[in-house]
Amino acid sequence: MREVTFGQYFPSNSFVHKMNASIKILIVIAYIVAVFSVKQFHFLGFGICLAFVITVTAVAKVPFLKVLKSLKAIIFFIVFSAVLQLFFNKSGTPLWEGGFITDEGLKSAIFVSVKVSLVVLGASILTLTTSPIELADGIEVLLYPLKIVRFPVHEFALIMSIALRFIPTLMEETDRIIKAQKARGADFDSGNLFKRAKALIPVLIPLLVSSFRSADELADAMDARCYAGSKNRTKFKKSVITWRDLIGLIITAGLVVAVVYCNGFYIFPAVFL
Amino acid sequence: MQIIAKNLSFTYGKQTKAVSVKALNNVNLTIEEGDFFGIIGHTGSGKSTFVQHLNGLIRVNGKEGELRVGEFDLADKKCDLKTLRSKVGMVFQYPEYQLFAETVFEDVAFGLKSFNKDISQSEIELRVAEAITTVGLNYQRIKDKSPFELSGGQKRRVAIAGVIVSRPEVLVLDEPAAGLDPVGKREFLNLLKRLHSSFVKTIIIVSHDMNIISEYCNKVAVFNRGEIALVGTPQEVFADQNKIKELGLEFPLTARLKLALKNKGVEVGGDLTVEGFVTALSKLKEEGKL
Ligand SMILES: Nc1ncnc2c1ncn2[C@@H]1O[C@H](COP(=O)(O)OP(=O)(O)OP(=O)(O)O)[C@@H](O)[C@H]1O
Ligand SMILES: [Mg+2]
Repeated sequence: MREVTFGQYFPSNSFVHKMNASIKILIVIAYIVAVFSVKQFHFLGFGICLAFVITVTAVAKVPFLKVLKSLKAIIFFIVFSAVLQLFFNKSGTPLWEGGFITDEGLKSAIFVSVKVSLVVLGASILTLTTSPIELADGIEVLLYPLKIVRFPVHEFALIMSIALRFIPTLMEETDRIIKAQKARGADFDSGNLFKRAKALIPVLIPLLVSSFRSADELADAMDARCYAGSKNRTKFKKSVITWRDLIGLIITAGLVVAVVYCNGFYIFPAVFL
Repeated sequence: MQIIAKNLSFTYGKQTKAVSVKALNNVNLTIEEGDFFGIIGHTGSGKSTFVQHLNGLIRVNGKEGELRVGEFDLADKKCDLKTLRSKVGMVFQYPEYQLFAETVFEDVAFGLKSFNKDISQSEIELRVAEAITTVGLNYQRIKDKSPFELSGGQKRRVAIAGVIVSRPEVLVLDEPAAGLDPVGKREFLNLLKRLHSSFVKTIIIVSHDMNIISEYCNKVAVFNRGEIALVGTPQEVFADQNKIKELGLEFPLTARLKLALKNKGVEVGGDLTVEGFVTALSKLKEEGKL
């Protein structure tokens, strides 16, 4: 249970860690757009994106293995979409006499896998170098414009940070309840699917009860400190933009231009998979 | 069942490596059958980690020492954990948080049913009634209630009934008296004492309350940074004043009184229970030394 640490923040003091979270989110969005806009089979574009990822990882002083590990979570998805391309892409010539796998199918299978992997790698650098709380704050800042249409940005951000805050608590609680029920002979690892699902009831119900209790306690604690929503509320950590963010933005702009150049100035081809 | 730990070590987060914490380091400890064994120590000293080894909630890594509980070899991968857990009951802090069933009866029967699949309904009823009565609740009145509509103290008793229903020989309690009022605490400890003279042969209790330890335990182990700093009777352990202070622990009331009296020139013998203290004191008076 404990191995499932949420998020994968890797604390450090690097250039990338010190950047503004909102800017980092924008950069990742730009990066993802760049990856998606790489023209079919123009692998050079991917090369540029990969170079970008490697550079950022090195600057962030995050072990490469940690970044690569993020692929583990979506390995099934990658294999699935690759297989789909491999078997159902009928264009091009068969790889061998009478075979059902075409050269184009193989190429697009690789293309799709690389594309998805690059997106995940980029996103994982963001979560590795930005703590969940910083991320939530960063999203809040980015959502400010929505205030014009009366979207409750502050409340939304609050929900987000409370959810993040409670994930470790919930995991700890889960761990504890699982242990308590195991001590009473509960068996979560054997039997068929139905039995295993049923075995979870003694964990889920106490967990639900304790979530409600935590929610109540938190609400009381916030009330007791006169929390009254977003009005006139100042921030403890101000979102400031520094020279680091400018450098980051400039480099990212370079990345986008390079990818677009590789595409032969073909700006936005078929985007999705 | 005798419990023997030899060179037991444990590290949290060994696989992930990001943050690994050495929670136990070469622990050697023997707990005899019949002991009312206290485990104390500063917070984070490894007490919970140690006791969770005793019923296999935390597994011994073969290379990190040995642990035997009766005939069970915990370092053995094939150790029959289910049977072990029916013999080593464990009560966690705030045990009432483990309640889940629709009725008190169902909740208490849960352990029984999971330990022996083919137990008869009449046997279940018998055992559940026994457990609920043992913890001092009225079986008929409470069995069909929802556990969530009970008072805090009742919930805790029901939760404990759910552990002792399988008649464990060893009962491990990790800070069980937390959050109880003084009367509730005393009742709870009397319950433990009663259990100790029935099918439960060994009681192991983790507590921060030195008065409980000195009053009820015949042996105490002090944990410090994953190691055992002191073992012995409460008298022996609390005799080493400097060490106890160094380990960041409090003294039981009786020990403090003895110390204060000693500073006034009155040496009181006896053990650290309230009764032992009073007996020793009245003996002194009879001898005219007071
Ligand atoms: N699940 C876990 N993952 C990682 N580290 C842990 C975990 N549980 C405990 N630890 C660490 O192991 C050490 C021993 O913890 P343990 O819970 O055994 O202490 P304890 O003596 O029971 O403390 P307390 O009196 O506060 O309950 C501590 O440093 C703690 O931070
Ligand atoms: Mg503990």
